[in-house]
Amino acid sequence: MKQFITILGFELKSYFKNKIFIGVTILLVIVSAGVMFFPALSEMLGGGTEENAAEAPVMLVGAPAVSGIDQEMLGQYFSAAFSGYQVRVTDEPAEAVRDQVTSGGAECAFILNSPTDYTYYVNNLSMYDTNTATADELLKQLYLTGALMENGMDQNAAGALLSVPVTHQVTALGTDQNNTFFYTYIMTIALYMVILFYGQMVATSVATEKGSRAMELLITSAKPASMMFGKVIAACLAGLFQMTAVFGSAILFYFVNGEYWKDNAMVASIFDMPVDLLIYMLVFFVLGFLIYAFLYGAIGSTASKVEDINTSTMPLTLLSLLAFMVAVFCVSGGTTDSLLLRVCSYIPFTSPMAMFTRIAMSSVPVYEIVISIAILVCSVFGIGLLSAKIYRVGVLLYGTPPKPGAVFRAVKNA
Amino acid sequence: MRLEIRDITKTFGEKQVLKGISMCAESGAALGILGRNGAGKTTTLRILMDVFPADSGEVLLEGGKIDYSQVRIGYLPEERGLYPKKTVIEQLVYFARLKGMTRQKAVQEADRWLDRLDMGAYRGKRLDTLSKGNQQKIQLITAVIHDPQIIMLDEPFSGLDPVNAALLKDVVKEEVERGKIVLFSSHQMGYIEEFCDQIAVLNGGEIVLQGRLEAIKKAYPRDRLLIRSSEESDIAAAFPSACEQAERGLLFHLPVPSCKQEVMERLTGRFDIDEIRVLEPSLNDIFVEYTKERI
Repeated sequence: MKQFITILGFELKSYFKNKIFIGVTILLVIVSAGVMFFPALSEMLGGGTEENAAEAPVMLVGAPAVSGIDQEMLGQYFSAAFSGYQVRVTDEPAEAVRDQVTSGGAECAFILNSPTDYTYYVNNLSMYDTNTATADELLKQLYLTGALMENGMDQNAAGALLSVPVTHQVTALGTDQNNTFFYTYIMTIALYMVILFYGQMVATSVATEKGSRAMELLITSAKPASMMFGKVIAACLAGLFQMTAVFGSAILFYFVNGEYWKDNAMVASIFDMPVDLLIYMLVFFVLGFLIYAFLYGAIGSTASKVEDINTSTMPLTLLSLLAFMVAVFCVSGGTTDSLLLRVCSYIPFTSPMAMFTRIAMSSVPVYEIVISIAILVCSVFGIGLLSAKIYRVGVLLYGTPPKPGAVFRAVKNA
Repeated sequence: MRLEIRDITKTFGEKQVLKGISMCAESGAALGILGRNGAGKTTTLRILMDVFPADSGEVLLEGGKIDYSQVRIGYLPEERGLYPKKTVIEQLVYFARLKGMTRQKAVQEADRWLDRLDMGAYRGKRLDTLSKGNQQKIQLITAVIHDPQIIMLDEPFSGLDPVNAALLKDVVKEEVERGKIVLFSSHQMGYIEEFCDQIAVLNGGEIVLQGRLEAIKKAYPRDRLLIRSSEESDIAAAFPSACEQAERGLLFHLPVPSCKQEVMERLTGRFDIDEIRVLEPSLNDIFVEYTKERI
């Protein structure tokens, strides 16, 4: 135990003195500050909306070939629906309008072929261009208003009739995925990144000790289990410290800029995470990290040179990528109750991301969570001890990295 | 104290590295473990340090099974290496603490050893800024800082200049005199002859020769004389069948060892002789004889 604490302290001190660690932490804090202060900064730099109004893009609307269209009403409706544009009604022929769009005189144009048919002219059609959908709805309303007016109803009454408001309330009895969606993404991405970053750091640290032959002395000075647990838990604490620093400063900056963010439901929902979900996140984060970090350490011990690490850790990196992909696809596909995710939520290597996704995105019975955590905790200890054994054998093997079969035979015989 | 290993075997994969070796080391005397590369020296030392267990056999201290939690072992590995990017004091304290010392005591001892080896000025320097010889001294401190009862030195003199080698010799002699068990593995036979009263020669995983160095040498037939003289060529001409020119002088082969006194007297009476003595085999000769073939 004393050895473990000595190693933990030594390794932690190494992290806090490591320039890459300090640099990445500061960079992430600066990035989170940049994001959180963005609205305040952009307002301070004079990005007011009034000034932009004059520069809003031009939209041309015309119906040169259709008779009986009320040009004024058309202009009013389009101006109201496309508030981001300067809507100009035109009676020029279609070719002239088209030329204006091509030359950049206008950004886009709607030329009506009939009251319910039009051609939309735009230079480059963006993936996110929803103008046609808006125009469809608009023309439909215009057509109906016209029809109602023809039957004796006045314009206001027809308008009110067509835009009668419908209200609704939603009560989610299980989980409201709209809110939990972001936590799940953040947790899976953060865990994946931390596994990659710190896993590599653990593997590199072991391989460096082996490469510099400090291992020759270490292996005779400390128990392999103390070495392995000391190193991995130090990496875990360093990772948690970094996450706390980054997310802690993000929360701080969020509250400092509270008035700018209060209308943004997405950001507000992230910072309003329920405590139980936060605890689950922490539990799965720590356990998920440990299980991978032990294996990274074990693999690091079988590499003779630091350069071998990337190749040797590839299977493990792919495994964490697989766990990440399963969770992300199930979240984006809305299939958080699928058999795949349920199975993955009990397999130690995939369960941290899979089970958290299920907890956050659907309703999971408590006993399932308990079973998943129990399997994970046992696996962490099992894999920790196995890694320590691999470490003891691995650190004394020099030359080309051994095949997994050879390592396991050596562990069995040791 | 008496450290003994009995009938140790160890196999790695298909290869049996140790085939039942036994040896014994005692306080106040250094045991030299000799062997060619791959003879099993480092494996023996690692089993002694409990890095991995032997397949069979036992390690005994004072006749009882060794309890590693109660005994302090210092090790200077053949493959030197510490943390290149850490300061000298940082790593000395770290290794001492891993061996069970408190931080305060570790700092105190580290400073004492740094001063003892004229390394005080490098206390706060990073290891990779030190010369190779100075790095070796730091490595030596890690082996002795925690006042170990058993010290294992694997090729301690490799890479040291004569001044540093002399400093290391003093340290080793001092530790032997303080009653430590010192195990010494080296290819430099001169150092083994200087330090070790006992030797064990390993070859192909077996002990092929073991015992007091003096007795081993005495056991060789004393049938050669080494002569240094300004008239070596005259002696060789007078006894052409008995003489052989060697690097160290003229070798004179005696017909039987018992006639050495008579031959010496006759030679000194007849020629101008600077030095004449019975030639004992050097450790190098013994080593080559026992290890050249059987591996």
